[in-house]
Amino acid sequence: MSLHAALVKVEDEKISSEKAKNFISSEENGAESIFTGKVRNENSGKKVTAVTYDAHDQAVIKSFKSICNSAKNKFDKNAKIFLEHAKGYVPVGEISILIAVGSGHRDEAFKICRYILEEVKHQSPIWKKEHYVDGKEEWLPGHSLRPKKNIK
Amino acid sequence: MEIQLKLYGSSKLLSENELLKLELPENSNVEQLRNSLKKLISEKHSQSNLGELSKTAAFFSENDEVIDDNYRLKNKELVSIIPPIGGG
Repeated sequence: MSLHAALVKVEDEKISSEKAKNFISSEENGAESIFTGKVRNENSGKKVTAVTYDAHDQAVIKSFKSICNSAKNKFDKNAKIFLEHAKGYVPVGEISILIAVGSGHRDEAFKICRYILEEVKHQSPIWKKEHYVDGKEEWLPGHSLRPKKNIK
Repeated sequence: MEIQLKLYGSSKLLSENELLKLELPENSNVEQLRNSLKKLISEKHSQSNLGELSKTAAFFSENDEVIDDNYRLKNKELVSIIPPIGGG
């Protein structure tokens, strides 16, 4: 199996970089690229304590598989890819997304990692609600999936 | 006719429940659903940041496919509202 894509309900388990490293490990890899996105303690001048991630589960998994297969077709058909995104309440400092790529060469490993991250942000129905030190919370603006020409 | 709107992201501000029932004229399409949503937001949620939601949201059918504004809704149909996304 060369692809693992999942949403992780953080109340039940945590995203594990060890699991990712084990999954992509292969003697055929000359390069392994691992990206971890974490919840930051500040956004636009506001002090953040945590982010709640909401997701349309089935559509997210469908998009993850499509993005990863597209990355393989574009850069390296033999790449091993591990992609997990958190769902639920994630405190500052914890992992929200992990992308691990094993490939024959570094250029492909870096490119696949970057490609997957950008495409997830633009295609996967996931939403963030930030929680602040003062007790307030806010859903963040995002990228509309409605074609621009139809938004008047 | 009635449709059930499954709420995600910021649209969860519209109801404490996961599903929001909306009454629409018979044979309504997605464009009419947008108009109904716009009216609901201006009447009951004007203090929220949802002012643009009826324009910027996409909608998914039960098969998780995007449905366009001409899509004819069926009575009791379950539709997901997809506000602008931003994971990562």
